[in-house]
Amino acid sequence: MSNGEAVGRAVTPQDASLKVTGTAVYTYDCSIPGTLHAKLVTSTMPHARITRIDTTASKAVPGVVAVLTGQDMPFRVGMYAGDRDLLAVEKVRWSGHPVAMVVAETLEGAERASELVNIEYESLPTVFDPVEAMKPEAPLLHEKMGEYRHAPAFNPIPGTNIANKFTLIHGDVERGLKEADEVIDDEFVVSHVSHAYMETQNVVAHWMRDGTVEIWTSCQSPFIVRQIMAESLGIPYNKIVIKTPFVGGGFGGKAGLGWEALVAMASKLVGCRPVKLVLSRKENFSSGASREGVVAHVRAGFKRDGRCLAYKVRFVLDAGAYADYTVNVGRAMGYSAEGVYEIPNVYCESYAVYTNKIPTTAMRGFGYAESNWVLEQVFERAAKKLGIDSAVLRRMNLLKPGESHTATGEKLREDVGDPRKVLQTLLKELGWGEKSSPPSQSWKIRSKGFALCVKGPSQPPNASASAIVKFNEDATIDLVVGTGNFGQGTVTALSQLVADQFGISVERVRVDLTRDTSKSAYTWQTVGSRGLFTDGTASLRACEDAKRQITDLASQVLRIPGEQLEVSEGEVKVKGRPWMNIRLKDIVFGYVYPNGNTVGGPIIGRGYFSSSLTTYLDPTTGQGIPTIFHTFGGTAVEVELDLVTGSIEVQKAVQVFDVGKAINPLLLRMQLDGGFVMGMSIALFEQVKFDDQGWVVNPNFSGYYIARMKDIPKEFVAAFVETPQFDGPMGARGIGELSMISVASAISNAILEATGIKLNNLPMNPETVWRAIKEQRPDLLTKAMESYSGVETPLRVTS
Amino acid sequence: MSFGSPYFTLPEFTYHHPNNLEEAMRLLKTHGEEAKVMGGGVGLLAFMKERLMSPAHVIDIKGIRELKELKYTSGIGLSIGACVTLAEVAQSDAVKHHYTALHEAVSGAADPMIRGRATLVGNLCEAIPWVDSPPALIALGGAVRVNGPRGGREVDLGNFIRGPVDIDLQPDELVTHLVLSESPPSRRSTFQKFSVGSEFSVASVAASVVLGRRREVRLVYGGVSSTPLRSLEAEKVVAEGEVSEAMIQKAAHVASRSVQCVSDVLASADYRRHLVQVLTTKALKRVFER
Amino acid sequence: MRESEVKVNGQIRMREMKDNELLLDLLRDRLEVKSVKAACWRGECGLCTVLLNGELVKSCLVLAVEASGGEVVTVEGIGEDGSGGGGLTAIQRAFMEHGASQCGFCTPAFVLTTHELLRRNPSPTESELTEAVSGLICRCGTYNQIREAVAAVKAHDKRSVSKKLVESTR
Repeated sequence: MSNGEAVGRAVTPQDASLKVTGTAVYTYDCSIPGTLHAKLVTSTMPHARITRIDTTASKAVPGVVAVLTGQDMPFRVGMYAGDRDLLAVEKVRWSGHPVAMVVAETLEGAERASELVNIEYESLPTVFDPVEAMKPEAPLLHEKMGEYRHAPAFNPIPGTNIANKFTLIHGDVERGLKEADEVIDDEFVVSHVSHAYMETQNVVAHWMRDGTVEIWTSCQSPFIVRQIMAESLGIPYNKIVIKTPFVGGGFGGKAGLGWEALVAMASKLVGCRPVKLVLSRKENFSSGASREGVVAHVRAGFKRDGRCLAYKVRFVLDAGAYADYTVNVGRAMGYSAEGVYEIPNVYCESYAVYTNKIPTTAMRGFGYAESNWVLEQVFERAAKKLGIDSAVLRRMNLLKPGESHTATGEKLREDVGDPRKVLQTLLKELGWGEKSSPPSQSWKIRSKGFALCVKGPSQPPNASASAIVKFNEDATIDLVVGTGNFGQGTVTALSQLVADQFGISVERVRVDLTRDTSKSAYTWQTVGSRGLFTDGTASLRACEDAKRQITDLASQVLRIPGEQLEVSEGEVKVKGRPWMNIRLKDIVFGYVYPNGNTVGGPIIGRGYFSSSLTTYLDPTTGQGIPTIFHTFGGTAVEVELDLVTGSIEVQKAVQVFDVGKAINPLLLRMQLDGGFVMGMSIALFEQVKFDDQGWVVNPNFSGYYIARMKDIPKEFVAAFVETPQFDGPMGARGIGELSMISVASAISNAILEATGIKLNNLPMNPETVWRAIKEQRPDLLTKAMESYSGVETPLRVTS
Repeated sequence: MSFGSPYFTLPEFTYHHPNNLEEAMRLLKTHGEEAKVMGGGVGLLAFMKERLMSPAHVIDIKGIRELKELKYTSGIGLSIGACVTLAEVAQSDAVKHHYTALHEAVSGAADPMIRGRATLVGNLCEAIPWVDSPPALIALGGAVRVNGPRGGREVDLGNFIRGPVDIDLQPDELVTHLVLSESPPSRRSTFQKFSVGSEFSVASVAASVVLGRRREVRLVYGGVSSTPLRSLEAEKVVAEGEVSEAMIQKAAHVASRSVQCVSDVLASADYRRHLVQVLTTKALKRVFER
Repeated sequence: MRESEVKVNGQIRMREMKDNELLLDLLRDRLEVKSVKAACWRGECGLCTVLLNGELVKSCLVLAVEASGGEVVTVEGIGEDGSGGGGLTAIQRAFMEHGASQCGFCTPAFVLTTHELLRRNPSPTESELTEAVSGLICRCGTYNQIREAVAAVKAHDKRSVSKKLVESTR
């Protein structure tokens, strides 16, 4: 029960003033006295045995303290499988694989020395394509896969390059396909994408003389970093302290372990001196981790009336040299394959496959954007083929709260959300059915399209969160949580939740803006759009706990039964006798009687979140309950396609999500708009490009284009539906990733709507679209070229 | 394009800041191969960070007064000193009216912060395939004035860029000015480019047409190959044909067939050829509609 | 090494500068002006933007010695512009109110750039704003909020913006 007014208000994010004044401190800004500089030396071969590493010349550079190699730190780490060496051991697996690390007194010295490390290789056969890599004759990247420890939820196949195989079996898909009137059969390819967070990966590590390892790192999940390091290096958890100051963007790319273990070992090996590693942008592109490429093959069967009977899809994920999160991304891609629809027969095989390319990891959306790209286009194409309005087709197949079972066999709770209302709102805001405004030129086309999506966090059943409500002497509150703070503003939403619990103003609740595993309350990770839900629930329970302690104490003091007492408006209120109310500040540190007797002590409220009903997924059929909530939503766009150049410009962006409860509409809008921009940028522009040796050939922002102000739509509509979920904090569900998932599909559907052109591959950059127009609708291109006059609305103001 | 620096620091060098041209020339003569001239420094420092260049001496010419002048003299032409920035060129009314293609090329280049530092001469001397000003300059016609120990010389703009990052300039020489000849009143010029989803122009064209009984035409393409390329075949179509839709379309077709485009990380040759057709159409329509 | 003087945010700072030192590194590492960030180190992302002698430049492509004898202003030095309230400029307050900052890493560059735009042109068109920030990247995608923040300042700030580049030091 909340009696306050903060929830629902567009409260300014707590850390905004630090950001606009440039006083927020990031790991990039941190160093401690005596910090040494580290520089990576990376492989020039995609797959090769290391025959010799000669560090003599590099060690001779003045100021160089050490040149470390894989032999110096024989530990393997990994998110779900221990497949990763800290520095290459025995062989290199991709062009850009770190083989050595120089540690020096100066950055110049480290850079100069890094040029002088001499490495000799014996070339090995390579494989760059994930489908090729699955074949029995493909060269093996991880011959020792069978020896790697791995989380039980995953199925690596030793003797192959398959890091994980996930299978989903729901109903009888072959029968469903046979009974269908129309079958859509297509292949889709999604390119590798880079998170391109603005603050590159960087770490300061100090292995101290007492055996404690202190680390400052730009990461999303300090507790998982600690866990992996502790397990891999064999150190007690409380001897590792991970600190995260402000983080300059994560987007899943900093969700797990980055370079922390490596830099920590370096600190130890140089005699317990602090060491800092900052990745250059090129290194982040080439040696860090990207989002995986995907090849998807789908067959979907529909009845003439539009009902989807069967959905059969195979995802092959190009996981790169190390699989990291990608085994789980592939799993999530699989169990999310059916999206918002109730499909009686679903079959999915999802493979995460090693190739001699850059390692991959989680990215905002966690596989859902990729499976959405397939699903939502299949449904759109089915609508066209059957001659049914897209909206009608969608509505007919939507999952029904309280009734439907998902493809993993989960019966949807009644308060799971309202996909019909989401669709209705989306279509209304888009103006579906109303003609688009005329295009700006005769060789351009304007059209509308939409796509739906749904997601919940992909977390293990025991992923928990905890919170501590700590009062200060003036009854202001310090809320101690673990959820990270790198742009989503969750901490502000949490302070709103807590403020209302006590009926105090939101300024009187403070959440620390940085994290420290030795001081912050535990949360599993800050990923998966879980933060508000899990840490919010934990925070509310901590408030309940604190209130119980407060009313118990007040009851004692006032000699009034607890049920006649209530904490609100910053006081313990007595029903019917307001003159007996006690101010919180007079009780949260114990109560002092007039004669000095004291009862009670500092109130510390504690609470946790754990999910009760989520399960492991059956290893053969994928059946189970994978997640704690399902946020339904969708994206709609009005686009303008330039038929002459293939450029797509989004004119209007609509995002609608059933968030349960909008704790902070401003934060919500920021996620919806920001997620759209990121999703649009990925849909239209972004592609990590590789040459035939697996080198990333565009490891910079001129070759890897990210949307700028000039690329955004003129109009943004951010709307939300509120169907409260009773076990969410004030009814709220998560949103962080959702706003990215259906963006690409919506854009593609708009193009299909207007031209019938199918775009199977991402990104839909101008050249790709032009080719598609040429191949599929050459008549449109010819007509456009004929009417092309070259007069454009000027994009730039000439000075 | 495929480079990217793993380096945060610059290699070591001695920085020089001559106050006058003689001093600059003396430094160049002394250090020759070991020296690089710095104008805005945008290009040079980026190259140095990637260790594509590691000169032992950097000669910053921004302090030399006579190199800062942009001067248009009616009847003579335009003189742009080596230290004139892209922003200054973009702001010049004279350039806008008489050398429109150049105005359009620099106004849309990079971003305002880069334009405020990068010099036009430096831009030209970089001779990077994706840079916008060389095609415009070649289309408009002119020369670079070079100063050196063997005396001064002028190099026609059409010959100055020999290849990617390869110009007709000796290590002990300095480009002091860019001079564009007087623009005939009947000349129309424009610069058009395509750079959606890219910082650099995937393809561009600079067109210059001197109207009259005998049309003088230049069509110079940038971003499609390792150096700016002219299409003499397309120029011929424009010079000889009657002004009409059909002539423009024909010229555009001919250009797309005659310009040798490359495939690289930004785009394929196929697409570039298509863009050549599109941009030629656009440029010619603008030129003839003015 | 050369002994050099540069004014940063209103204060004269004497520093020995190496010839090959970048202005970015002088500011961040030696003068501890940490608001200046970097994300690409080659002039593409714009996060290293500072005002040098009144012009916005990308400090990762400027030598420290080029600033010697000159004046650098970063977001710490834009100070109050006379619109009243708490030492924050109107654009900073607008950024806060409109949610124009998420992870915050690009925020100092965007604040400085839009502040300078509004200082020179109190009523920029959307096109002028887009052009002014064309050299900057925001990965979190707050462009719509930045657009709104600038529009809000344009609409409400009737008073003339102070022409002084540097207000009182912080």
